[in-house]
Amino acid sequence: MNTTHEAGDSAYDNLSALLDGELSDQGARLAIRQLRDDPTRQARFAEYCAIGDLLRGQHEDLPGLTRKVMAALDDEPTVLAPLRKPREKRPLLWLAAAASAAITWGLWSALPSQESSAPLAAIPTPADVMPYLVAHQDYAQAVLTTPEMHYTRVALSGEAR
Amino acid sequence: MSDREIDLQLVEQVREGDKRAFGLLVEKYRRKIIRLLSRMVRNADDLEDIAQETFIKAYRALPQFRGDAAFYTWLYRIAVNTAKNHLVARGKAMRTISDQAMNDDDEPDERLVAQDISTPETELLSKQVAIAVNEAVDALPEELRQAITLREMEGMSYEEIAEFMACPIGTVRSRIFRAREAIASKLRPILGTPDDKRW
Repeated sequence: MNTTHEAGDSAYDNLSALLDGELSDQGARLAIRQLRDDPTRQARFAEYCAIGDLLRGQHEDLPGLTRKVMAALDDEPTVLAPLRKPREKRPLLWLAAAASAAITWGLWSALPSQESSAPLAAIPTPADVMPYLVAHQDYAQAVLTTPEMHYTRVALSGEAR
Repeated sequence: MSDREIDLQLVEQVREGDKRAFGLLVEKYRRKIIRLLSRMVRNADDLEDIAQETFIKAYRALPQFRGDAAFYTWLYRIAVNTAKNHLVARGKAMRTISDQAMNDDDEPDERLVAQDISTPETELLSKQVAIAVNEAVDALPEELRQAITLREMEGMSYEEIAEFMACPIGTVRSRIFRAREAIASKLRPILGTPDDKRW
């Protein structure tokens, strides 16, 4: 067998690895981008898919099916529904919320015991925090009573889980 | 990037407006879906209609695909439902029971009885293709034949093949690529896939 191959063939080596899921994320994205606009690459991709199927005994086929499907899609509206943003960005929202809760909890911790149900304004507090607490009273109570923040409150108070 | 992630990438491209990426998914899963449907329908014309409808329905439903399941699992369900609806609408009974088509892990269960729906022409073509593939594989040098067999039939990763064959991963990648190229060159005249003509 001729073990040498044309220099151009090595351009499809990444296509072979793509099909096997053996490219890096960056390499795979590049290979997929290259596929989009290159009919020759698409033909190679189809051949590699066929080889795998045939080796696994999947001989049933309708050779014109892809062409028919794509022709039918010409009459379909173009799908425009990008996938949602990666989850990595979400922790920033939680960090911001946790920071707010921590600040509020820290201010509450500076106060005497809360067993009495007296309104916040009636409890003696350090003079320098009084204006802040009065201004943020409604918000602080809402945050502390939010179920999602319970774990944060417990962690900050040092209680065992 | 895993096979599942590649499918997700292609789906993402389709959802961003690139229909051609969907063609790649069709090519990738065409035979699997056809094989599945051939076990559920008797008539070759029905098979083609249902297969086409399956992929078109999948395209339309892509905005609802969230990637929780593998793309092929999702496509499999669409195929089964499409076959059911098609045959019920035409008053025909299904040959196999789709309720048994999913295993305990909710994955496609391929252990179904094969049904022959071939026409003489398609049967002849299938035989020609099967013979060509076998001959092409037999003609490969031992190291290429072993590499492509371990990859395609045993499903081993490059790393596993490298360990098995006691060679670097790069060598495995090269051997598999060269094996595919050699087989493709033998199949091309039969499959009739000119380089400059795709969908």
